[in-house]
Amino acid sequence: MKISLNNDTGEIRGAAERIDAYCASHGVPADVAYAINLAVDELLTNTIDYGYDDDGAHGLEIVLRMDGSVVVVEVADDARPFDSSRTTAPDTAAGLEERSIGGLGLFLVHELMDEVGYRRDGGRNIVTLRKRAVAAGGRRVSDSR
Amino acid sequence: MKVTTERQGGALSICVDGRIDGSNVVEFEEAVRAAIGDEDVVVIMDFGNLLYVSSAGLRAVLLTGKRLRGRKSELVLCSLSDPIRKVFEISGFDKLFAIHPTRGEALSSLAD
Repeated sequence: MKISLNNDTGEIRGAAERIDAYCASHGVPADVAYAINLAVDELLTNTIDYGYDDDGAHGLEIVLRMDGSVVVVEVADDARPFDSSRTTAPDTAAGLEERSIGGLGLFLVHELMDEVGYRRDGGRNIVTLRKRAVAAGGRRVSDSR
Repeated sequence: MKVTTERQGGALSICVDGRIDGSNVVEFEEAVRAAIGDEDVVVIMDFGNLLYVSSAGLRAVLLTGKRLRGRKSELVLCSLSDPIRKVFEISGFDKLFAIHPTRGEALSSLAD
């Protein structure tokens, strides 16, 4: 499934509903769908808020497919080159006063997904997420392609 | 998203309905800022009806906690659904804030 959207964070919710519907129709457990939606939201929000050098309209694209029991998501944009497969963990041991407010979004993407890949191709950033469609309790779902 | 407030048991409870993400986090921050009065020393964020929160919302919670700590007040969280609790734990927020299963338990912990 392919979802196209503009560089407007208000459009992410509509995309999330379509991702939920795709996951439900492919037997992906709700907690996995939740994690995928959060990861996609963080990537899109990062790009839309910080990725562009101009104020113009830009298109972004999400492609979802099943690879056996693994959900594969590609998120593509034409923003400044940015490698989302590299991240540094926030200091989760810091106290409330010391804790920095930044760096959480990409960290969550990496914590919630099994794999985060990046390539720059034809002037586009393409981030590939892979997440096994297994419920939190460990129940395997059948391959329902 | 809808934010409602209630004062009971010596605490201000802020209940959030719906989703907090990058598209409405400013609205959430403004609602929280407006809700908290100078007299509120304990603020409970009740996330029982929170359906979704991204890092934008987590930052807003963190900033609220820092602001309250700065004036010797406390932020307590309650009623997080499983996926939201997981996100708070990954982010290390369970070490920054007391997280209670229900608002009743949050309130009774204040009485201890």
